[in-house]
Amino acid sequence: MSDLSQAAPARPGAAILQRFSMRDAGTLIGLLVILAVFGALVPGFFAERNLINILQQSSINACLALGMTLVIISGGIDLSVGPTAALSAVISASMLVAGVPFPLAIAAGFVIGLLCGLVNGVLVAYVGLQPFIVTLGTLSTYRALALIYTGGNPVLGLPVSFRAIFNGSLFGLPLAVIIVACVAVIAWIVLKKTPFGEYLLAVGGNEEAAYIAGVPIARTKIAAYMISGLLAALAAQILIGRLGAAEPVLGNLWELDAIAAAAIGGASLMGGKGSIVGTILGAVILGAMRNGLTLMNVQSFYQLLATGLIILAAMLIDRVTRGRG
Amino acid sequence: MPARTFRSRLASLPAEQDPMSPRLQFDGISKDFPGVRALSDVSFSVGAGEIHGLLGENGAGKSTLLRILSGVYRPSAGRVLIDGVPVTLNNPVAARADGVAMIHQELQQVPRLSVAQNMFLGHPLTRGGLFVARREQERQAASALAALDASIDPAAPLGSLKVAQRQIVEIARALLDRARIVAMDEPTSSLTPSEFERLAKVIKGLARDGVAVVYVSHKLDEVFGICRRATIMRDGAVIDSVELAGVSEHAVVSMMVGRELAQEQHRSHATRDVRLGVRGLSSPKVRDISFDLHRGEVLGIAGLVGSGRTELLRLLAGADRASSGTVEIDGKAVRLSSPRAAIAAGIGLVPEERKREGIVPLRPITSNMALASMGVFARHGVIDHARLRRVAGEKMKRVNLRPFLLDRPIRLFSGGNQQKAIIGRWLAAGTRILLFDEPTRGIDVGAKAEIYHLIEELAAEGHCVIVVSSELPEVIRLADRVLVMREGAIAAELDRASLSEQAIAAHAIPQSQGLGGRAGVQGTGA
Repeated sequence: MSDLSQAAPARPGAAILQRFSMRDAGTLIGLLVILAVFGALVPGFFAERNLINILQQSSINACLALGMTLVIISGGIDLSVGPTAALSAVISASMLVAGVPFPLAIAAGFVIGLLCGLVNGVLVAYVGLQPFIVTLGTLSTYRALALIYTGGNPVLGLPVSFRAIFNGSLFGLPLAVIIVACVAVIAWIVLKKTPFGEYLLAVGGNEEAAYIAGVPIARTKIAAYMISGLLAALAAQILIGRLGAAEPVLGNLWELDAIAAAAIGGASLMGGKGSIVGTILGAVILGAMRNGLTLMNVQSFYQLLATGLIILAAMLIDRVTRGRG
Repeated sequence: MPARTFRSRLASLPAEQDPMSPRLQFDGISKDFPGVRALSDVSFSVGAGEIHGLLGENGAGKSTLLRILSGVYRPSAGRVLIDGVPVTLNNPVAARADGVAMIHQELQQVPRLSVAQNMFLGHPLTRGGLFVARREQERQAASALAALDASIDPAAPLGSLKVAQRQIVEIARALLDRARIVAMDEPTSSLTPSEFERLAKVIKGLARDGVAVVYVSHKLDEVFGICRRATIMRDGAVIDSVELAGVSEHAVVSMMVGRELAQEQHRSHATRDVRLGVRGLSSPKVRDISFDLHRGEVLGIAGLVGSGRTELLRLLAGADRASSGTVEIDGKAVRLSSPRAAIAAGIGLVPEERKREGIVPLRPITSNMALASMGVFARHGVIDHARLRRVAGEKMKRVNLRPFLLDRPIRLFSGGNQQKAIIGRWLAAGTRILLFDEPTRGIDVGAKAEIYHLIEELAAEGHCVIVVSSELPEVIRLADRVLVMREGAIAAELDRASLSEQAIAAHAIPQSQGLGGRAGVQGTGA
């Protein structure tokens, strides 16, 4: 490797810029191929209404996956996003049903998300437990809290006016999509343009070196988990707005879709690497596939199979195109 | 006794070899990577029983050549011949089967497994192909080890061994594999002088028994000490293969670098203003350290590995916490509770293990450089990239980064250039007290001279520098004053007038010689 470094092509910047966005370009090509295949197989797939549908169906997963991407870049993982969303949902919903004003109820849901993330982050960063185990533990804990709080029953009868907030649309796009798009832009800026983004990449890329260089390791990690919790809470609000009810079992297996979207988008579970653009594309790939297969009346067993294969294929292509060393 | 074990192994080698042909021959090897020619027409040979030095700066093509020899890369052109027979080294397993053993700089071992398990890693001895024959493995491992270092227990977990012993284990593994060729990549980069002596004996033993040894090292004195001939490479080509008895070290360096390197003398820029005052600093590894550091001074810290040098630097850099003692900067007490606090106080560490503690490998030079000063580059929470690039350009020009590609991931740079980027990190952070731990470990001669220059320039500008180094010539070249550490405490303070390798060694070695547990050894090294 050191041998290569001396004589490499000397076009500064351009080469790297190309290589960095190359990965995203690859994900985009993957998406275009999948769209083309379904476009050919399913009549009406490209109808404006259906395309908007795909975006809407992808929005919740994209929202979670954005937080997941930041956590993964920091070298961690957050398995507890689904139960975090459920806990946030049932608490917001029961406040709404009790007549608490929307902003307060929504804010309470966000606070729950932040708290869940804070617990994860503190256990990882200060206690030094492994992220996988910590969030596996809180996955059960948060779910149990949601079930205990509701006695296992759904919270029904959310005010129509609350539902209108998240079911509205702007410029012909569902509000949920617009909200998540804004979150994505913010996440992109955070990762590319702020010290916190650099810290995330450094902590995940080489924690020891980041420490010696004075990076606030614990704060960076905790912030990543709190953002993940907050975005899970946001996803919860979008969902209960759409459904008009909050179930304590909502968000089951959400973490897996979120991880899949991040991985398809180029995040490395080893940490230190990931792309916001890639993650969004990854979420849309998964959404488009599900949408297309459903329109084709493919049984859910086969949908699951297809999802699994697309993840493996993405990783294989990634491996092959990157080559060795 | 060692010789017998070697010979009995050799007796079982295939006997089809032509006695006239060299054991190992590179014949016109070229290697192209996309857009880069890493090796061009490399030819030289190594005889049976020869220890052959392979010298060159980083990027000269040594590692690529070794990777071809060990089957990791395939050559684009040319052949490798072993005992006159062309061999196809398609993968590491094939290379091993052809009798090539590779001993890497960073040992490729599994610390949790036992010594014997490591030696049989990948091809365990089995009973009936099902169960690992643990006892038999340990017996064979013990017999291979007996010739080299009888104190190593084959059943002990490898992680409990010192680096030097782990190296011996790798060599014993080569013996078990009946290697005809042993290639060693920087085997001594983390060994003490006495450990090197021991390793040198083992290598000479290998050679006596007909193994061809290819020995890559940056330490010229070692190469001159144990090799008779050496091949010097530069920019992927062989410059010359020479008899070392007939050339000077200086001539070899010139061949490696491709120009004359001026041999420079020490210059002092020390003033009398005390910048850093350390009083009674203690931790579990360091006892009651007190000293002053002056503006413009380069303070050397010498001592054996394990004498507390690195630990002292880590305390000053805030990476570890002191149990007692005080540190003052410009007369004001500072609390070095974290690297962040130390950096705020103006102290920065250039760590010993660059890969582990220095660089964030996937990030570009700019990000690595700015890591300690992100706050400075942020405006309203957003990084001012234009300014970051400008500063990075300035600092990297100053440290002479090559190639000058600020956006390229740092892992693609040579060790010397990575080190320059880390130094740039502290320049960008406005650090006034720089701590260097083994500043030129694993760095080639050319870059080494540049780093010495840089340290001197920094001192001339009024920075304070502490240099910890195991290489005594380096300490003597750089330091205005040297503290010698022994068993966690300062054993002596030497000024320029009383500075010599002998003086340092005399103070560095514990009087009672109880450390290694080897009875009857006196005055290690020196």
